[in-house]
Amino acid sequence: MIKIDKILLSIFQRAFKSITDEMSISLTKTTRSPILCEAKDFVTGLYDAKGNMLEQTENLPILSFSLGPVCRVILDQYGENISPGDVIIHNDVFSMGNQNNDVAIFKPIFHDNTLIGWAAAKGHQADIGGAVQGGYNPNATEVWQEAIRIPAVKLYEKGKLREDVWNLIFANIRLTMVQEDIKAQIGACTLGERRLQSLVGKYGIETYEAHKQELFSATETMMRSEIAAIPNGVYHGDSMVFYDGKHPGTEFTVRAKVTVEDEAITFDFSESSEQTKGFVNGTYTSTCSAITLSFLQMVNPNIPHNEGMIKPLTYIVPEGIILNASYPAATTFGNHLCPQVADSIAKALSTAIPEKITAGWNHLLCSLFTGNHPKTNEKYVDICFLGLKGGSGALKNSDGYDHIGMIDASGGILDQDYEMFEQQTPHALLYHEYLQDSGGPGQWRGGLGVETKIKLGGDDTTMVVFGDGNVKTPYGLFGGKTSVLNKISLTLPDGTEKIPMSKDMIEGIPTGTLYHQIAGGGGGYGNPENRNKISVLKDVKNEVVSESQATNVYGIEMKEKS
Amino acid sequence: MKYKLGVDIGGTFTDFFLVSDTGESVMHKTLSTPEDSSIGFITGIKELAEKLSIDENKFIQSIDTIVHGTTVATNTLLTLQGAKTALITTKGLRDALEMRRGIREEQYNNHYQNVTPLVPRYLRITMDERIDADGNVVTPINESELDEIVEKLKSENVESVAVCFMNSYLNDTHEKKVTEYLQNQLTNVYITASYEVLPSIRFYERVSTTVVNAYIGVVVDKYIASLLGKLDTLNFKGGFSIMQSNGGVVSPEVVRKIPAVTVLSGPAAAPIAGTFYAELLGFDNCITMDMGGTSFDASMVVDGQCVTSTDGDINRYRIALPSLDIITIGAGGGSMGWVDSGGLLQMGPQSAGSLPGPVCYGQDGEVPACTDADLVLGYLDPNYFAGGKYKLNKKKAEEVLEKKLATPLGLSVTETAAGMYRVINMNMAQGVRQVSVERGYDPREFLMIVAGGAGSIHAGEICRELEISMFVVPNVAPIFCATGMLLGDLKHDYVRSYITRFSEINKDYFLKLYDEMTKESIQTLSKEGIEQENINLIPTLDLRYVGQYHEVPLQVEMNDVLSLNFNEIKKVFHKEHNRQFGYSLKDEGTELEMINVRLRAIGVTEKPNSFAKIDNSEPILNPEFALKSKRDAYIPESEKVQEIPVFDGDKLTGKYTIKGPAIIEQVNTTIFLGNTYDCHTGISGSFIVFNREKYPNGFNLHKEKLN
Repeated sequence: MIKIDKILLSIFQRAFKSITDEMSISLTKTTRSPILCEAKDFVTGLYDAKGNMLEQTENLPILSFSLGPVCRVILDQYGENISPGDVIIHNDVFSMGNQNNDVAIFKPIFHDNTLIGWAAAKGHQADIGGAVQGGYNPNATEVWQEAIRIPAVKLYEKGKLREDVWNLIFANIRLTMVQEDIKAQIGACTLGERRLQSLVGKYGIETYEAHKQELFSATETMMRSEIAAIPNGVYHGDSMVFYDGKHPGTEFTVRAKVTVEDEAITFDFSESSEQTKGFVNGTYTSTCSAITLSFLQMVNPNIPHNEGMIKPLTYIVPEGIILNASYPAATTFGNHLCPQVADSIAKALSTAIPEKITAGWNHLLCSLFTGNHPKTNEKYVDICFLGLKGGSGALKNSDGYDHIGMIDASGGILDQDYEMFEQQTPHALLYHEYLQDSGGPGQWRGGLGVETKIKLGGDDTTMVVFGDGNVKTPYGLFGGKTSVLNKISLTLPDGTEKIPMSKDMIEGIPTGTLYHQIAGGGGGYGNPENRNKISVLKDVKNEVVSESQATNVYGIEMKEKS
Repeated sequence: MKYKLGVDIGGTFTDFFLVSDTGESVMHKTLSTPEDSSIGFITGIKELAEKLSIDENKFIQSIDTIVHGTTVATNTLLTLQGAKTALITTKGLRDALEMRRGIREEQYNNHYQNVTPLVPRYLRITMDERIDADGNVVTPINESELDEIVEKLKSENVESVAVCFMNSYLNDTHEKKVTEYLQNQLTNVYITASYEVLPSIRFYERVSTTVVNAYIGVVVDKYIASLLGKLDTLNFKGGFSIMQSNGGVVSPEVVRKIPAVTVLSGPAAAPIAGTFYAELLGFDNCITMDMGGTSFDASMVVDGQCVTSTDGDINRYRIALPSLDIITIGAGGGSMGWVDSGGLLQMGPQSAGSLPGPVCYGQDGEVPACTDADLVLGYLDPNYFAGGKYKLNKKKAEEVLEKKLATPLGLSVTETAAGMYRVINMNMAQGVRQVSVERGYDPREFLMIVAGGAGSIHAGEICRELEISMFVVPNVAPIFCATGMLLGDLKHDYVRSYITRFSEINKDYFLKLYDEMTKESIQTLSKEGIEQENINLIPTLDLRYVGQYHEVPLQVEMNDVLSLNFNEIKKVFHKEHNRQFGYSLKDEGTELEMINVRLRAIGVTEKPNSFAKIDNSEPILNPEFALKSKRDAYIPESEKVQEIPVFDGDKLTGKYTIKGPAIIEQVNTTIFLGNTYDCHTGISGSFIVFNREKYPNGFNLHKEKLN
């Protein structure tokens, strides 16, 4: 029996974190696709031999809890057939993948011929085959229209590249860049492998095993004490999903039943709508990730992210519902059901822990442009991050965060720089400002949304739209009010206006078309009439709240304006 | 006798380093005066005169150069005490400054707030003007709009104005026009435009940097005027220059125009001094670490040059000017130990500061800090802190440490203190790892240079964690930055954006950009009194492969620029890309794209006569005579407390070898050698500490390599 060295626990905790951080730095530096190196849509992690999370470095919360389930699938599939030098690739959403485009690399780590853990990196690839470049195909009804399926398969066996497997996979993916990005992910895993080996080499395998177990317990204790602070009970919350991409007018419900029993918490989504006939479907892993990140925002933000943190959490997401579609459904939209998952949990727990719950966040509505850049005569792809980022919901004692964007990323994705945007696309950014009165009024105001106007250049532009939030506005809490709807419209040079559906694709957009987007703000918290008058006057002075809203909603006589 | 003086104003102390023309040096520290830091500056000079027993007036007359590191700019940003500032920007883009591209640094913390913008929205004024992405005027300036703006600025009593327009890096005519107009109309207002501060692509970076410049401008300007006034009153006739964030010095006139170059004015001197010591000892690469009361700074020197970056920020305010790449983490003597809700020991980042400070200071501090652990472990002598100036209360430190940490952890007091020591060392090692790995360097290939009084207690363990085989504690460690001030050259950085593929470079235009920057730099340097033959011009191109998003700054040869030798430049780029990122696209034939062209102009200044020399004599003497005492100290390698010798470091001016475990004490520095380390002296009071296993026969400077 190894004696636990309390101090060594702190040392291991730091060492694991430093390893996944270094893997993350390596990926940022070595990947090519802007979704990876610029938007950092990837996660790096270390797992133990049984697939328990030792540590991770997450850039986007929605990806953060998507590696563990895959690691267990790999362990089940290969059993003893895992050797040093193996590299395993995986994206299959019907074996615990979270999204088709999110491709994981796993590398087993050995010490003296004993499996001691796994280094893993998962990133959103610029293309993954399927009918449409980039993977967002609103017309898809089956997985093969979206992507190539990659169940766990060895890319390298005992250090040797399996060229046939490599070629088979990449024969089904459009961009050669993806091969380079996968190589970068393998590189990051090799780095993680070396660092964990040297750590275990230093302290010995028994010490490592005992201390990582103790570390999980320590983190579990932290999480359990957070849950214990929530009153016991069964809580319900709902949120709506509008339009499945195929059938206009369709509506679906995401329904959370949250049960708190002493130091354990269960999230049960069994009562949600059945899966859709379009691509608006979640996967088990994307939904569990969404649940985890939503709950983490309600507890101490400093809890380490290892297996102990997840242990007191139980997830019930049965197959066949909108949050866990059965084979062979289309699911690319799944990550973007995170806002509804988050809303339903927040609404459920809002009476139990009102001081920790935010009002509704703006739901994502997003567009992606592809076309030809006349200056270089080359193709470009651009996700319009500038336009899509709305405000977060307010909570007790804090206004919402302006222009933060979807809760799935919680401020982890950056806008394009204005001038780089104008160089890398043929478009001109005419307007990008906070939208007045878009912060849901409340004692604490919702975060502001933004309005964006872009003059589209280049011929034959294609616009793919995906998202929600154009039918229903975010909820306010405890007397707080809502914000405005999301909206995207195109005004063609001849003056006609086109309004895309929330999941849509418009081709052949002519140069000179005006793109106009509103990303709404977040909901308010508490009665706006109780808002600190100085804050209202400051908002009026800064023109983010109009005089009429100040008078009519906040109840401030504007002659008092200083 | 003539002197050169380096003055570094820090939060608690103002440090002075004086070198005479014969190479003799004096270190001095005096308390800082944060309400007006020029007071402490002048006090220190007077104290130095007293220390040297020279008449004050005579002393001041004999100083031919003062180089100054100031925290005025940094503090203004940290405390938000800058000028009431307005921004004039392009219509439709009013909020770029405040949005910060939509980032929230703490993704799980819903209480986490955006930074307060340095210009509130109501003072961000937009103009209906536009320059397109090719630099063409789409919407010209309308002067009648300017009249209204001037009225508004007057009625709001604005003290400072930043001007930054979209795409002005391609065409600065609008910014120039507006700036001139405002300068004529608002004579007492500080006005700054982006084309002067940072004429390169990336709107957010440019607007943020320009606004920082405007915001701190008035305060820095006042400070410099007051300091120069005081020096003038004292009849100081020598040269006066200021340290910049890029590690170069500059005249006060330039700082008054672009004060944003001084946000890292103090810490930037550390790697400069590091370069000097590394070179003296025969190394090209080093890492400098500086552990203070609340924070730990680390930076790198590679091939004799300090590593520079353009992605710095202070207090989350972005400043994209080239500055030395210094990482700062919350680890210092005041870092507090605590047990988290999972029962794990943590150190910092909260600090006990200097008031109440660590428990052992006896100023009602109730949370055990790093210094308390260092005392409990026997590394510090309670009766010889700062040379005996302060008495430390070891008993109280032990009591509080037991109550607050040892009992909840179920450990002994010594085990707990050892744990605190270990955890904070790990935090600092990670900081060093970050600064090196992020730039693609392996820390094991570097010499560690340790500045600051507390650092040398921790350096051995940090180096062991990083597998660095040697660290150096220079004789000037306690005032390291003040030393660096005297070693910096004049440095000016210029940038122009020129976005083009290599195959499409317009050669005349490319040369014209360099010609412009060269002329400007020579003009500025000659105003600062630098002769043509002492000017070095170093061009850098920001390059990337077509399709990439991040550009890589590549230092190139001036000859290759002037002779348009792009083939050579391509070759160097492939190599550098491979070094940093592990691959190049040379064989794929991917084209290169240029984003910015840069020029660094260095005016080589006259350096002080060497104040550190290597003693090459043969005999290695027995250090026993310098033995002060013996005391119990914790040995990290064996995890045991053991009685070890304590040497008086001030007596070890000759060439000795000290075997670890041992402690070497000086007034402001304590060095701890664990039992894997030995130490050489004989470099004008500096200490070379090396891993005994790797160098069992000692280390021969200039003869051996690091391993």
